[in-house]
Amino acid sequence: MIKKVTLTVTSLIGLLAATSFAAEKTYVFGVVAKSNNNPVFQAAKTGAEDEAKKLSQEHGANIKIDWRTPNEEDPQKQVQAIEQLVNEGASGIAVSCSDANKLTDAINSAVNKGVPVVCFDSDAPKSKRLADFGTDDIDCGHKVMEQLAKEMGSKGVVAILAGNQNAPNLQKRVQGVKEVAKNYPDIKILDTFYHKETPQDAAAEVETVMQAHPEVTGWAMVGGWPLFTDNALKFAPGSVKVVAVDALPAELGYLRDGHVQVLLAQQVYEWGTTSVDLLYAKAAENKNPPSSFVKADLLPVTKENVDEFAKNWDKWLPKK
Amino acid sequence: MSSPLRLNFSKFPEGGLIVVIVVLGILLSIFGGEVQRPKMVMGPDGHLTRAVEKDASGQETPAFVKVNNFFNAETLTQIAKDTSFFAIMAVGVTIVIITAGIDLSVGSVYALAAVGGAMFMNQFGSDGGPGGAVGGVVVTLLVALICGALNGIMIVGFNVHPFIITLGTMAIYRGIAFVLTNGQSIGGFPQEFRDFVRQGVIGDLSLVPLIVMILVCVVGGIFLARMAIGRKVYAIGGNETASRYSGIRVARVKLLAYIISGVTAGVAAVLALGYYGAASSGDGQGYELTVIAGAVVGGASLFGGKGSALGAVLGAIILQMIATGIVIIGIPQSYSQIVTGVVVITAVLLDQFNRWISDRRLLAQTAHIKKEVVQASDTPVSVK
Repeated sequence: MIKKVTLTVTSLIGLLAATSFAAEKTYVFGVVAKSNNNPVFQAAKTGAEDEAKKLSQEHGANIKIDWRTPNEEDPQKQVQAIEQLVNEGASGIAVSCSDANKLTDAINSAVNKGVPVVCFDSDAPKSKRLADFGTDDIDCGHKVMEQLAKEMGSKGVVAILAGNQNAPNLQKRVQGVKEVAKNYPDIKILDTFYHKETPQDAAAEVETVMQAHPEVTGWAMVGGWPLFTDNALKFAPGSVKVVAVDALPAELGYLRDGHVQVLLAQQVYEWGTTSVDLLYAKAAENKNPPSSFVKADLLPVTKENVDEFAKNWDKWLPKK
Repeated sequence: MSSPLRLNFSKFPEGGLIVVIVVLGILLSIFGGEVQRPKMVMGPDGHLTRAVEKDASGQETPAFVKVNNFFNAETLTQIAKDTSFFAIMAVGVTIVIITAGIDLSVGSVYALAAVGGAMFMNQFGSDGGPGGAVGGVVVTLLVALICGALNGIMIVGFNVHPFIITLGTMAIYRGIAFVLTNGQSIGGFPQEFRDFVRQGVIGDLSLVPLIVMILVCVVGGIFLARMAIGRKVYAIGGNETASRYSGIRVARVKLLAYIISGVTAGVAAVLALGYYGAASSGDGQGYELTVIAGAVVGGASLFGGKGSALGAVLGAIILQMIATGIVIIGIPQSYSQIVTGVVVITAVLLDQFNRWISDRRLLAQTAHIKKEVVQASDTPVSVK
């Protein structure tokens, strides 16, 4: 009897030991996007969580996503979130910086404490981050103008809608638009129009320009601001061609009704998936990406593929 | 008969807040669990580096250390640092609230003062030296002082409710900050200034914001409890008309209260500039609510006449502990605002309940004294 009990206890201890040796390794990746009330970051969250599940299955690891995004944009809260994640022993952090100046020290401090950091969407270029995954803004401007020229038959008058004139990323996009426009002798750039980056201000700017310059036949919108409101474009569908950056759910209606010809969708889902890939490679395999800038391509969305593309948002956004 | 061990909250009203902080701390230590962190050691160059250890196969792997998720030096320091910005402003706002006023513009004053200081220091750049840093601090505090003074002058001069004036200046100050910066972030400050605010006081723990918070609390406490002007602040909040008739210069005291509120927002802005290294017009958006909530949780009565500097700091600490606790326990971040709102309402209700109990006790004591007087009197007196 004693022998039996001893044998059972020994087997149990053996089993426990074996289980603990075979226990899967846990990685916790913190994700700090700009705000919770923006659908692009909800898509990034879904992407990060899906990728964590996929990598967990592939590598027999336990990868968790710790979503630490402030409800509204607040770089101070982003700094606090990064500091908290480091204190809690996160294996890596992905961040979209609301203010690169304010986040640089927090990122550097995390990296100095052995926690790798990647930026997505919005970079902190002077920090020690492992990599930045985002849009090449000059290339984005090139694509906007190429698509617009195609829609306009390589001739006409183009107005550029450019948001905040001091935003460096938008300036690069405008530069890209102008560079490509030079290749089309029959296309004239009327001007670049700046405005406060709210849907209402942007829609008002478009309306003002259209009233003052009815000769405009094309809009190169380096951001999708006016399209976040209903009924922002007063002209007849197709009479003026429009190409805009971003393809959020609110903008898709303009493609369907013919007001907008092309939306260039940023890889918002991939902001999550690629960030987790980069962090896992560093944390688990100590691998660095080949370059510190990982370019995210833009996907053209038109009337033809809008319904297919819209299904993504059904998957990416949380169920109501 | 009262037991010597019984806490007398009427003599030390902040005792209840300290009990809440201790209970929260114990709960978070128990339910927060343990976390594993990379182990750091001091390298030969004097900088912290990752410690390594040899595994079973003799290979070197990064070493980790297990700590309590809440009760560890880094997390406690972080809570203190994150609290300090709100707590410092809460001390100033509490003084305003004690006069039965309100300052909704603190978040905007914080932003405008930070932007003013940032624009000044940015001229000097990171090599600006102590001169640029001191100048930046002076500009930040001066802008905040002017904002507070303008609030006070308009409230006293136009005799308009402070809610209206500070609601207006909340938009005006932030608007000025936006116009000055074009919505852009301004960084590039003298390195000495940044190093001073972020310096590790113990190891690499940055305690400067905590020390400044304690200093502001002590100065605020002395002002309110030990100085004649402080007692006048309470008197005005208790009964403004009676204070006026008793010779208190109400307008001057009120003006001073709004100036103090502005200056405390400036002090918080100085710390933020040093710690975060940049300022923009969007800074401190919505902070007025957190600051006022901290003051109210700390025992300040919106009806005036009640509140303390220590209470404001403890109230802010409670709110920050709850915000951190939500993260530590693993409640989704989206719920943090709901929890904060519930805590504020609960604190006010508890305060009202406490006041009701005190009033009843006072009534009972008065009735008892009246009864004794009646019994001791030779002539019969009717008690109503």
